[in-house]
Amino acid sequence: MSLWVDKYRPRTLDELHYHADLSSRLRSLAASGDFPHILFYGPSGAGKKTRIMCTLRELYGPGVEKLRIDQRVFVTPSNRKLDVNVVQSNYHIELTPSDVGIYDRVVIQDILKEIAQTQQVDLNAKQRFKVVIINEADALTRDAQAALRRTMEKYMNNMRLILCANSTSKIIAPIRSRCLLVRVAAPTDDEMTKVLNHVAKKERFSLPSAAAQSILTASEGNLRKALLVFEAMKMQKPDFSGGDIEVAKPDWETYCAKVADSILQEQTAQRLLEVRGKIYELLSHCIPPTVVLKTIAERIVDKVDDALKPQIVHWAAHYELRMRMGAKKIFHIEAFIAKVMM
Amino acid sequence: MPSSTPNKSTTRGTTDSPKKNLSQSQNHGQSQEKKKPAPAPKKEEKPAGRDIRGFFGAGAAKPSSSTPTSASKNGSGKKPITIDDSDDEEVVKDRKPALSKPLSSTTRTSKHFASSATRKPIILDSSDEDVPPPQPAVSSPKILTPTSRSKPSSAAAASSKRKALVDSESEEEEAEIIKPAKKRQSIAGTGARASATTTTTTTNRGGKKPSYAESESDSESLSEEDVKPKSKAKPTSKKKKSPSPMDVDVDSEPEDDFIDDDEDDLPNKAKSKAKPKAASAKKPPPAKKAGSTGKEAKKEEPEDGVVEKKKPSNPNWRAAAAARSAGPKNPGSKEIPEGAPDCLAGLTFVFTGELESLGRDEAQELVKRYSGKVTGAPSGRTSFVVVGENAGASKLAKIKEKKIATMTEDEFFEFIRSRRGDQLDEKQVKAREAEEKKIQQQAAELEKREKEEERDRKRKERALEGTGIAQAPASAQLWTTKYAPQNLKEICGNKAPVERLGQWLKDWWVNYQSGFKKPGKDGMGIYRAVLISGPPGIGKTTSAHLMAKEAGYKPIELNASDARSKKLVENSTNIDNASLDGFFQGSGIQSTTVADVRVDSRSCLIMDEVDGMSAGDRGGVGALNVLIKKTRIPMILICNDRSLQKMKPLQSTTFNMTFRRPGPAEIRSRIMSILFKEKLKIPANVVDELVKGVNSDIRQVLNMLSTFKLSKDQMDFDEGKELVKLNEKNTIMTPFTIIDKLTGPYAFSKNSKETLGDRMELYFHDFSFIPLFMQEHYLKTNPTSLNTLSGPEQNLKHLELVSKAADSISDGDLIDRMIHGSEQQWSLLPVHAVASTVRPASLIYGSMRSTGGPGGWGPSFPQWLGQNSKMGKLQRQLTDIQIRMRLRVSGSRAEIREQYMPMLAAKIVLPLTQRGTDAVEETIEYMDEYFLGKEDWDAFVELGVDTMSDSIISKKIPTATKTAFTKQYNKSDHPIAFHKGDMFAASKKKIADDGPAPDNEEVFEEDEPVPDEPSEKEDDDEEVNNVTKDKLIKAVKPKGAAAKGRAKK
Repeated sequence: MSLWVDKYRPRTLDELHYHADLSSRLRSLAASGDFPHILFYGPSGAGKKTRIMCTLRELYGPGVEKLRIDQRVFVTPSNRKLDVNVVQSNYHIELTPSDVGIYDRVVIQDILKEIAQTQQVDLNAKQRFKVVIINEADALTRDAQAALRRTMEKYMNNMRLILCANSTSKIIAPIRSRCLLVRVAAPTDDEMTKVLNHVAKKERFSLPSAAAQSILTASEGNLRKALLVFEAMKMQKPDFSGGDIEVAKPDWETYCAKVADSILQEQTAQRLLEVRGKIYELLSHCIPPTVVLKTIAERIVDKVDDALKPQIVHWAAHYELRMRMGAKKIFHIEAFIAKVMM
Repeated sequence: MPSSTPNKSTTRGTTDSPKKNLSQSQNHGQSQEKKKPAPAPKKEEKPAGRDIRGFFGAGAAKPSSSTPTSASKNGSGKKPITIDDSDDEEVVKDRKPALSKPLSSTTRTSKHFASSATRKPIILDSSDEDVPPPQPAVSSPKILTPTSRSKPSSAAAASSKRKALVDSESEEEEAEIIKPAKKRQSIAGTGARASATTTTTTTNRGGKKPSYAESESDSESLSEEDVKPKSKAKPTSKKKKSPSPMDVDVDSEPEDDFIDDDEDDLPNKAKSKAKPKAASAKKPPPAKKAGSTGKEAKKEEPEDGVVEKKKPSNPNWRAAAAARSAGPKNPGSKEIPEGAPDCLAGLTFVFTGELESLGRDEAQELVKRYSGKVTGAPSGRTSFVVVGENAGASKLAKIKEKKIATMTEDEFFEFIRSRRGDQLDEKQVKAREAEEKKIQQQAAELEKREKEEERDRKRKERALEGTGIAQAPASAQLWTTKYAPQNLKEICGNKAPVERLGQWLKDWWVNYQSGFKKPGKDGMGIYRAVLISGPPGIGKTTSAHLMAKEAGYKPIELNASDARSKKLVENSTNIDNASLDGFFQGSGIQSTTVADVRVDSRSCLIMDEVDGMSAGDRGGVGALNVLIKKTRIPMILICNDRSLQKMKPLQSTTFNMTFRRPGPAEIRSRIMSILFKEKLKIPANVVDELVKGVNSDIRQVLNMLSTFKLSKDQMDFDEGKELVKLNEKNTIMTPFTIIDKLTGPYAFSKNSKETLGDRMELYFHDFSFIPLFMQEHYLKTNPTSLNTLSGPEQNLKHLELVSKAADSISDGDLIDRMIHGSEQQWSLLPVHAVASTVRPASLIYGSMRSTGGPGGWGPSFPQWLGQNSKMGKLQRQLTDIQIRMRLRVSGSRAEIREQYMPMLAAKIVLPLTQRGTDAVEETIEYMDEYFLGKEDWDAFVELGVDTMSDSIISKKIPTATKTAFTKQYNKSDHPIAFHKGDMFAASKKKIADDGPAPDNEEVFEEDEPVPDEPSEKEDDDEEVNNVTKDKLIKAVKPKGAAAKGRAKK
């Protein structure tokens, strides 16, 4: 009863449908016995984590798939208790330090030291080292990244790091230079079609190319999204009849569109006040502020005159940067909207 | 009003007027000149009349009427002119050059209205008052008579009619009024000299003057006042209709007539509108008066009143309020006068409407600076009302009724400038003398007492000589102790409560004997204790001690410096061993002590600072309450705030007595006598200011003064202000008031005296909150700087301002990040203050805009905080969901939210809304697959927005489905991805309970594999998987299942 996206997730490097050369390189790396620190980066839905897990399996065998989740408690210097969820197997441990915001440094220091200082005790293990996977590495604070630097070199014997990020731009250079950078590009349309057809075959039906096309456009190179949309579509119209298939937009996207429309409809301070309420709602429901800003800006750009488009994009970028630098995101989104209104 | 000779001013006035005339005559049409070959003398006279008109018009001022009179008469008949007038003239003079000419047509329109009322006096004087000025006499009287007669009749009719038909149609009136106008015109046409016409018209209008003059100089200016605001209100409509006459400053005669018509006709036509009506209504009465005698004129006044009452029927309160909040129109446009010290002594002022250059506060301060008094509403004692634009209707009516003198802002300034310091009438002088005498007397008394004490002290000193105990001499004492009141008379304010307290103490013994059953006259008889509450420094403790002594009790005081916990209160007062009670039975054999003081029947317990019984005094209030219920001596409890939660128990057992802050008047004489005694010279108005500045805290005033005495022996107004400011309690303002202050309508107006530093200071009151408030608020104002714009332009400008403000706030956030981030650049705080608070405020300051929500007025609490914590909460829930799904899903939090959730919602939420109970099974299957529990499902729903939002979804799912879902879910066991800390602890305990378990963790671990997993979907793929999963995915049914598992094993 899983969703297709999970049901047909590849488990070994061999099963991966695309980036075959990458797969083979990973395989040889795993076999070499000199496994480096790796930084996987690429857009969301390109298959980074899937690939990481496949690599681990290649390293350790099926044992890595015996996952368990733990909740670890860390204490910050200011005596604050932090709960961090840790996914681990006997051979690796996976954490998302950015869950705890600015305290991620504590987590990194504590966990890495702990792991680095214990040797592999399982004699059956294929490798002497354990692997630490750090998710959302690009969301790590600079402090946390700095904390990684020395550890990476010092404990090379006992531990390898696999960082997983969307982009390397927010990862400090010292870290980048210590890692093997592996770019997992988004699949091309052909590759995605291949995957979709594979899934369709497993589910025992055939996918019309028109439907495949509309899935591809909706998914924007995100295979996860593509598969989810695919399944949703299948649920809506089991036979994929009618060439023109409306892809259901997620709730937050329609909401962002509404916000953009109301901005275009009227430009007053009062309206800005109303828009603020809606943005608050989006943000508080865990839609990342960047996504909100981007979606709104795109929608506005779609609708305004050509002359205004570059300006809007420019300001969107301007405020997006400020948003990343600042702490209170909505201030910047609001400033952007005020600018657009003006 | 004290009278003075207006000579100086008169002469000035006359000299001025010719000049003006010249220019005027040049200005307007020569046609008139042609028409009427007016003789030279006449001409001269005419100009004077015109001049006056222009005058009134220009200033939109009433009082100018006096100028003409005086000018024409040269002090002959018009003795009754008052100081006021003279002052007014001067003011007018001043104004003339500056204002009259440059003024736009609008002002002129208003002038016209004003002039209708004001102009006449001159001619009237000449005709009625037997003292015709030489030149005008020739021409004016002739024509005057006919016109004035004809007009009066009709006008009178009109006015009377109006009276009758207060609400009725305007048409009739219109007709009637038109008639007289026509007549006049015809007169003009028939060849009566144009000048004559003017004079007539003026006479008609001026008719008002004599009557007023006769009735009272006050009323004259009054009525004029009334006219003015109205006329100002609707200048626009007027302007349109009769532009030409208005533009010409002082109109030639024919035009003048025309204007008259206009004035009569237009307003009437427009009668349906509230304001024009009033203006027109105003007109007739003066006309009538012209013909009538003074008596009639007096009768007229009530009519005026009636007419006026009509006017305020539809006042535009909102607009008025908005205008008021918008502050003075031309802040700082006029020089603030410097007058002789005390020049306003004994005078009482009322301000109404908006002054042109002064804010209300500034104006009031100005009056106080010169020892004047300011009251809120006009009353019989008010000496002057300073009337600004858009004055309140009710105030105007009151002024009229009470015949209070009015003045404009300019007149007010001039008044200050010209008035000598010691102009007091006899009564005031006497009052002052009496006061001084009293002060001296009191001071003498103080001195006497001090001497006595000194003697006493010396005696004691002598007695104590050698013991080493020294007593401080009186001079070394604090003023507050030195001058503490010694008897009831000396207590400032709160006389009534203090007296009641005394009475209660006197009756206490009687009440005690009757078992506190008889309430007595004031209901205090049933209480064993009194709770006095009130702000600090107003003499609560002093009064309590004093009254206790006066009633013959011996006060025992316990205050915050004594520990008063439950235990101590009980022990020290012997509640438990009942010795307090027992004392009386034992007739003094076993005495009781409180705080080591012997208690006898004449003791009185004063518990000071009861609300200070806090942390250290746990249970103190409760114990105190018990004590109160049993006490056999009177108890006086004192606190600052009796509404506190911890004071609740005392509410029912004590009589509540509230002390209020005494007013400056109540304190003044006491302070003055102390000052006299201390040889410190401070004028009364400064003392008042001090008292006001510290909120009537007598103690603080005395402390301030005693410190001040160390450096100086005199204090003037400014020093006083400074002292107050220095001693200002460093109160932390609430963010709400700060935002109000920062973005108020004139927070950044040109005459605002606050510096950047002052504003930043506001930010520092609470630098973590204020920026949030600012961000919340900046969209909710109507920026003052946009007041002059309207329509789309205003909107555009507004957006521009808002955008700038938003940018600034955004800058502020970046700075904030540097401060609170890893860099900890706290030195940037001032920059943050400017960027996040002051600059946005400077852009968008203005009156608040109602945002339509509940409680739309006033700054609201920043949403950001609430939203942020909501975000935090949902974020946590999302993390929970993500980590549970992690075993199946690779996505991060954001990916889960953005991509999985909409899809998953279609599987586990929407089916419930569409198919109801049928979908429950399926939903639960999916949830198990992703290791989601029921709470996760709730969180899942909560995370939705738009059509998936919490409220919409939960409405769509029928209750039956929900219960079925919950039931079904609870019925079966579910795989759980992992145990959270708390869950783990719980199950651990359970296991421990079940039996001896040497190592809980181990036991627990081993339990896992036993129960058959309901969710073994994976194993169809691979063997290995199966094995591993058994061990590591804890598919545990928390309680029963775990136990079962163990049992099996």
